[in-house]
Amino acid sequence: MKLVMYNNYQLGLYQDDKVYNLSESLTEINAPTPQDMINAVIADFEGTYRARILEIAEKVQPIPMDQVHLRPPLPRPGKIVAMAGNYFENGALSEAKPLNGFLKSPESVIGEGETVVLPAGHQAAVFHHEAELGVVIGKTGVNVSEKDAYNHIFGYVNFNDVSARGLHPTSFLWMKSHDTFGPMGPYLVTADEIADAQNLQVRLWVNGEIRQDYNTSDMGHKIPKMIEWLSSIVQLDPGDLIASGTNHQGLGPIQNGDVMEMEIAGLGKITVNVSDELNREWHRGRDIDIADWVAGRTDEPPAWAKR
Amino acid sequence: MKLVFFDDYKLGVLNKDETRVIDMSLTLEELPRVGPGDYMCRLIEKWSGYKSRLQTAMLDMSGVPIEDVQLRAPIPKPGKILCMAANYLENGTLKEARPINGFLKNPSSVIGDGDTIEIPPEDADIFHHEAELGLVIGKKARNISEDEAYNYVFGYTNFIDVSARGLGPKGSDVFLQSKSYHTFAPMGPYLVTADEVPNPQDTNVKLWVNGGLNQDYSTSDMGHSIPKTIAWLSSITTLNPGDVIALGTNHQGLGSLQDGDVVERETPGLGKLTVKVSEPKKRTWDRGVDQAMADRMRG
Repeated sequence: MKLVMYNNYQLGLYQDDKVYNLSESLTEINAPTPQDMINAVIADFEGTYRARILEIAEKVQPIPMDQVHLRPPLPRPGKIVAMAGNYFENGALSEAKPLNGFLKSPESVIGEGETVVLPAGHQAAVFHHEAELGVVIGKTGVNVSEKDAYNHIFGYVNFNDVSARGLHPTSFLWMKSHDTFGPMGPYLVTADEIADAQNLQVRLWVNGEIRQDYNTSDMGHKIPKMIEWLSSIVQLDPGDLIASGTNHQGLGPIQNGDVMEMEIAGLGKITVNVSDELNREWHRGRDIDIADWVAGRTDEPPAWAKR
Repeated sequence: MKLVFFDDYKLGVLNKDETRVIDMSLTLEELPRVGPGDYMCRLIEKWSGYKSRLQTAMLDMSGVPIEDVQLRAPIPKPGKILCMAANYLENGTLKEARPINGFLKNPSSVIGDGDTIEIPPEDADIFHHEAELGLVIGKKARNISEDEAYNYVFGYTNFIDVSARGLGPKGSDVFLQSKSYHTFAPMGPYLVTADEVPNPQDTNVKLWVNGGLNQDYSTSDMGHSIPKTIAWLSSITTLNPGDVIALGTNHQGLGSLQDGDVVERETPGLGKLTVKVSEPKKRTWDRGVDQAMADRMRG
């Protein structure tokens, strides 16, 4: 099942290029905010809402997808927990880097057709896209075991962990949490539609040119391990998002006027724009320095990491 | 005004002489909310519609004696907890503030008065208390200037930024492992509106462990002032009503937390917050102030 948020944050079912309104029928849900609505559906999906949604879809008149304004399916997650350095870099590393992660501001989320705004007040050395598989939590968990981890997953979504490099002191807050730095969507796909989340092709294009093109099989700490580790620190709740990390082979600068498209097999394609009122410029194409550094092909960090 | 959560997350105010809790549940019946997690945030958002009724209630002779209720964290699950890192001049030993820095702390880690900090089994070098002034945002703030920053402050509360040292890969930002464990954000006992805190930039922060005074400093020693902090954070991420900013700690006086400890935290006008510590592995560290840590942070 594919869920969308659209127009004034109506919850919808996406099916055969049409959107079926769910919010108008799910009046029993107490939802002061759009995120509260989707959280409630996620929290009791198998018990109640999967069946309810299919029932609603039989009764309501759908709207063609191209006539709705899509919003991010999780407009403001309770938490975004992101993994750092979590790929083998196309197998270049012989073992996974030590587990690490960070919290990303939930205010950073934007959706299909929206714009990543490079902050004028922050003089980063460069701004990068990071295409990632977003894992959406389905039930509350603390100290979840690897074995039980997939039972805590509601679904998956495209996520782009936009990053500012070279701000000092280096901190994930400053690097990752700027408003608009979390493009997500176009829809949220329930876990049953994804046969193997650990074998999905992730692609990202800038202005039509392919930048990132990797498979989630290259992930360092796999999804169950990641959930076990994160939930040993923080409680994971329905509607929380885990950004599972990126493969740095293919990262590249983004700048004013760029159009970014991102697609993971089975999760649809999200397109967002980039704006920068300062019109800062970087080279076009992939950033080889960060790719070689993270893959261990050189000990020489990119210039911005030495600033 | 002092806002409290009590018993099964009823929202109340303290009366004038702060001896009784007046239940405001009926007044707030229509306030849209999901549950205890977002209740106070929604009230702050709609503050102007409720303020006068809450003020009137403070004069009420009814209510329950405060010692008869179980107080809860005033904001059990803030939208965000933003913390400032190394934001003190360490009793004036640093000539200037360190470069501005901060991190997000897990909003699910909040506990309240009488609750227990649960030290995780992880092999940290030590677990520290960090007494901090907690600031609560009153309205949506994005790219706010220092001049207007105080207009966005709703109030203040005692905060402890519990910290695990030495976890995670060396040389990386490891704030997630050091700061975000469950129960690592004691807060309370209540939320005090800004009008009752005349000078948050010159107030006292105290913390005791088992009756021994470890931290005792003034917020006048802060590196990046409150307005500067709000301006900087709001240039990165939109601040919303009920978001908590922990303004950083003075490291002269940090100490270990271990099984059975009782921690008290007080700032004039904000009441006293008391929490316990549980550590099933019963590890022990030196008692009292961690002088090595204090020396490392001094200028």
